[in-house]
Amino acid sequence: MTSSTRPTRRRSWARLRTAQLAVGLTALATVAACGSDDPGGSDKTTDVTITVALNSEPPPQASLDAFERETGITVKWVNIDWDSLQTKISAAATANTYFADATDVDWSRVGQLGRLGWFYPMDDYLDTDAMAADMPQLASFTSDGHVVGIPYDASFMVTTINSDLYKKAGADANPATMQAYTDGLKKIKDAGVVKYPLNIPFAAAEGLSTYWYEATEAFGGTILDESGAPQFTSPDSAGYRAAQWMIDAMTSGLVPPGNINVADSQGQQTLMAKGQVASTFSDYSGTVGSLYNIPESSTVVDQVTYLATPGTDGPAANLSNPDGIGIPKQAKYPDAAAKFIEWFTDAKQQVDFAGVNGPEKALPAYAMPSHLSAVEEMTAKGDLVGGEVLAAMLKTSKPVFEGGAPAWYPKFSNAVYTNLHAAATGEMSVADAIAAIADTADQLANES
Amino acid sequence: MKSRRLQAVGVLLILVWSLVPIYWALRTSFQTEADARATPVQYVPHHPTLDNYRALLTGDGEVPGQIRQAALNIVIECSAATVVTVVLATLAAYAFARMSFHGSKILFYSVLATMALPAYATLIPLYRIMSTFGLVNTYSGLVLVYVSGFVPLATWVLHNYFSSLPTSLEEAGLVDGAHRLQVLWHIMLPLARPGIISTAIITFLFAWAQFLFPLVLSSDLSTQPLTVVIASLQGRHVVPTTLLSAAGMLAIAVPAAIALAFSRYIVNGLLAGSVK
Repeated sequence: MTSSTRPTRRRSWARLRTAQLAVGLTALATVAACGSDDPGGSDKTTDVTITVALNSEPPPQASLDAFERETGITVKWVNIDWDSLQTKISAAATANTYFADATDVDWSRVGQLGRLGWFYPMDDYLDTDAMAADMPQLASFTSDGHVVGIPYDASFMVTTINSDLYKKAGADANPATMQAYTDGLKKIKDAGVVKYPLNIPFAAAEGLSTYWYEATEAFGGTILDESGAPQFTSPDSAGYRAAQWMIDAMTSGLVPPGNINVADSQGQQTLMAKGQVASTFSDYSGTVGSLYNIPESSTVVDQVTYLATPGTDGPAANLSNPDGIGIPKQAKYPDAAAKFIEWFTDAKQQVDFAGVNGPEKALPAYAMPSHLSAVEEMTAKGDLVGGEVLAAMLKTSKPVFEGGAPAWYPKFSNAVYTNLHAAATGEMSVADAIAAIADTADQLANES
Repeated sequence: MKSRRLQAVGVLLILVWSLVPIYWALRTSFQTEADARATPVQYVPHHPTLDNYRALLTGDGEVPGQIRQAALNIVIECSAATVVTVVLATLAAYAFARMSFHGSKILFYSVLATMALPAYATLIPLYRIMSTFGLVNTYSGLVLVYVSGFVPLATWVLHNYFSSLPTSLEEAGLVDGAHRLQVLWHIMLPLARPGIISTAIITFLFAWAQFLFPLVLSSDLSTQPLTVVIASLQGRHVVPTTLLSAAGMLAIAVPAAIALAFSRYIVNGLLAGSVK
């Protein structure tokens, strides 16, 4: 899920009352059903046109033209929002119907996709073992030993702070522990610099779940073990303490009351960009350069910096939530799609996309490269805002779930954000919320 | 008296619930991006501007171009679906209402029963069929799906309308030697014009509101309607919310104008046959 288009809503389905097909269409259905179910596409890699469907602006036409000259592959780019794209991927896979040669693979759906077998293993096409060393977030795309997608940008949860507001309050702008971080926020509130210093997106949406995962990491634990068993039921556990910390922040007035309806991405980031909050604990990598330092969208230009995520005794790891690109089984030209993915995720190409070699080669709203070497190159050239901090974070970033996102992740996440939201509104206690989430996890793990 | 007050409060609540989001989008569409983000919030635009609408309708950028193409698509798809649906439904409704043939009742109720089927149930098979016959991402594919979806309702509305008309004129026409299609064309259609208009309006409005089917069955801007394109623009930092709000208002404008102008027909059409 990218920073700009996470699934904060579940779109209500359209209400078309499609007719049961009468005689003619029944015949068509029979004919269609008689078609081959076997996936399979052409192995042609020249003089073909492939469709790439992503929730991203297309690369500059000049870059795509250069790729075409080099390979003989023409790229037809379809830019579609995240929610709609997931619907299309599911519909196409279920109907065993072609819709794109390469498309989005979100980290949270890796387990599902791996089990369903909707995508070709990328290790059949690319040397993913060799890529892994320079691409730390590749681990988030592995399911049952196979790589389902290749991350095309790096996305991980980071803490951002408005250093000007911290300075005004005389608060420590470099807290290394959660205790120091919380003390700093209280100091900002007490000093009246801002009324509500901390951003937590408490709307019942995916962003609330990922916030809790990162907070759990900060408190020194994990959400689920490799078998999917909940690790947060004990009041001493990191997950429990993280949930308590989040709810306490709400009830003690550190978080704006209106955040009960604020989802992550735009809602949360707008508060930060307006200087209405002093810190976002689980923000997105790259937002300082791509959002907070852009005068058209921000009133806090040059005020926001990345903070190494506070932990229990020192900085904690940053959890990955990157977007990847993979090849659906219904692709017409899987080999050509693999060539495109290799090009699209290449380190040199990513440096271009990040705008280092001129705006004419940049990919609009591109976060940051998924290749460590590309990030380091950008940092060395001074082309990445907060590059040194980000490069260090990228090196130590880790998947949200060590065993990969479970196949039942969407249902689990739903339970997480529904119950934490209810706890934030006071409808239930933290203990009850945690118990309900754990029950859901147990049930889902047992059913799978 | 008390119940009327309660009724008024209920109506007011529903109105507020329905209209406030639309007002908010309308307000934003008349603001600059800076005003839309201003604190404190401007409930009424301090410096109203038509710039967003101007940009959408005449601008050169990528987003205005997409919106204009999508607007053209939705007009083509909805108009075509409306015409085909009304023609087919008129013929079917007349046959069910006036002609006696073996199995007509079973067939009629079978057609009506399809309205009870959830849309999801047919999405995947339809997608497969469309794909097999190369109809994905074509106007004709979408129109075919809309027609298959709307013909049952249109048939039902028109059946009620035809049934409510007196049979004497029709019988006179038949006695004078006209065949069924002549009777339909020269006698019944003029009488049923209000019902046909209401059916056309209802069909057009339903088609305009579609999202899921065009989302799945159209894959690029060549056929994607406004509803799908606007959704694909939301959430991108690079698209100003003011522009997006203006696009939303344009998408609302056509059905809203039709609903307001022809509300009498819509109500009559849906009530046709309910009072004998």
